Amino acid sequence: MAKKRKFKKGVIIKLFILLVIFVAIIFGVVFVIKKIGNMKFKEYTKTLNYMDTVIDIKLYSNNEKEANTIISEIEKIYKYYHELTDRYNAYEGINNVYTINHTSDITKMEINHDLYNILDYSINWYYKSNGLFNINIGKLTDLWKVYRDNQTGIPTNDELYRLSGLDIKHIVLYDDNKILTGNVNLDLGGIAKGYATEVVHYYLKSIGFERYLINAGGTVLAGINSDGGKYRVGLQDPDNASAILKDENKEIKLNVSNAIVTSSGGYERFYEYNGVRYHHIINPNTKMPANNMKSVTVITDNAMLGDALSTTLFLMSIEDGQKFIENFDNVEAIWYTNDNKVIKSDGIKKYE
Amino acid sequence: MNKSDLKLIIVIILIAIIILFMVAIFNNNSNKKALIYYDNDLVLTIDLTEKEKKEYFVDGYNGVVKIITEDGKIKVDEEESPLHLCSKQGFIDKTYETIVCLPNKIVIKIVSSKTNDLDTILR
Amino acid sequence: MEIKKISRIAMLLALSVVLNILESFMPLFNGIIPGFKLGLANIVILLVIYIYSFKDALLISLLRVFLVGILRTGLFSMSFFFSLGGAIISVIVMYLAKKFTKLSIIGVSIMGSISHTLGQIIVAIIFYNINMVYYMAWALILALPTGILVGYLTKEIKKTLDLSIKW
Repeated sequence: MAKKRKFKKGVIIKLFILLVIFVAIIFGVVFVIKKIGNMKFKEYTKTLNYMDTVIDIKLYSNNEKEANTIISEIEKIYKYYHELTDRYNAYEGINNVYTINHTSDITKMEINHDLYNILDYSINWYYKSNGLFNINIGKLTDLWKVYRDNQTGIPTNDELYRLSGLDIKHIVLYDDNKILTGNVNLDLGGIAKGYATEVVHYYLKSIGFERYLINAGGTVLAGINSDGGKYRVGLQDPDNASAILKDENKEIKLNVSNAIVTSSGGYERFYEYNGVRYHHIINPNTKMPANNMKSVTVITDNAMLGDALSTTLFLMSIEDGQKFIENFDNVEAIWYTNDNKVIKSDGIKKYE
Repeated sequence: MNKSDLKLIIVIILIAIIILFMVAIFNNNSNKKALIYYDNDLVLTIDLTEKEKKEYFVDGYNGVVKIITEDGKIKVDEEESPLHLCSKQGFIDKTYETIVCLPNKIVIKIVSSKTNDLDTILR
Repeated sequence: MEIKKISRIAMLLALSVVLNILESFMPLFNGIIPGFKLGLANIVILLVIYIYSFKDALLISLLRVFLVGILRTGLFSMSFFFSLGGAIISVIVMYLAKKFTKLSIIGVSIMGSISHTLGQIIVAIIFYNINMVYYMAWALILALPTGILVGYLTKEIKKTLDLSIKW
């Protein structure tokens, strides 16, 4: 047997000090690596084609499986709302806007809860916007679309005033799941994309996913970027498809995170006739395309609100719009006037 | 700790630094590509780092779409559609730019690993 | 094998399992870099290599991986295979380093620490197709303090044990 020996006091203290130093070093290194690890999120993108627009999805994740699942979930949502709000095609198994518009019998048609909610939300907006935001003007947009596609002339006064049944009161909803058909022609162009995007927004929030940027043609849903910071969003010049809107020769770049930026404007969907520009957004009161401005952009925290609000602001005069947005919290706006001036609400500074 | 331990530590630190440098250099390649989608599916990827002019043909909904790349830029040259909006758009070369041929269901996007000025553009 | 040795090895095995599990309770070391650990269990393996033999060290190391697998991470789960790859490679590398180089116990420990992480990275790349080349550099740098710590602790423990126990 060997002789017994106790630990020397000095050794234990030395060991302890060493341990503390090493743990401190490791803490430091781990902190640095966490920062670097943040930067190593991989980008996952997908481009979709729904609701007459291109939807760009960009996610940052360090988990490929998670990213692919989220992308396919997002695609499902857009596809679902695309089918629900499609004016030109019917789909098996659901009553959508097409079936509602193409049923001339006056009957109570059953619709699903999601479509019901969109209609309900839109009708509320009709009253909020004093009749400017109207989803029952399908006949009117169809008429203008014929002229826009041919790029010749404009509808005659006779044609415009023969259109009837544009009143929002013709949309009658029952029991949380029925609509009265026969007298309605819906056009959800001013709300469908925003509504679907808000559903996506809700989905992303519910699973706690943060690093995303979704551009659904006119509606940008921004989370945080791969560094945890803000995205830079440019606004397209309505007069030039490959240029960015400038304010006093400086390109407008909005720095946003966890926000929704929505634009309404002529962009590519307008035509000129006799020197006058005719947009695709029609004012239900005058039955003429709005031409108060070239475009309007709003920053909000809700995509449904953003879409409805930007459509409404586009139909209002800029002065009315400036007053109108004061009714909402956390809403800022940028107007681009017909004489190429940029007008911003006060809070836009935060994003520049 | 003896001398060979110290040598080992130094060698390891050097190797780590070399790997970090290599990763940094590798990541610096701009690696610009154009992605061409037909009806939600990626059908073609074009390397945009080449300067030479090249032609590509992709099947669109209304017929063949002719695409030209040159000097890191890409454009739709010919296509069948009522208004020819996408061939009128001309060359694009920035990641936030997109060419959209809705009648042909063709979308062209540019991606690059280099950081860009803008993340997206609202239209 | 004599009974004394069997019981000693069983004790050492138990010690390494406990250290391993103890370590996994430290939240700092979970999930930042896959497989990054302080490697306290390596103290036992290192001791066994010096006191007994390579074979015994490999045995304890493998048994430890299986036991921890059963007790905590789940057998044949992803982290089980990571540990297995890291454990086998690190025992082999430490043994070779001890036998063929002039490295002290601290140097051998550093080699063990590095090969442990590299083993895990190799498993990750081969079986799970995860791109971790970028982590390699950081794994190397991190292996230094942990390796030195483990090596130093082993050296001191061995010094004390040598005086008190006849192996």
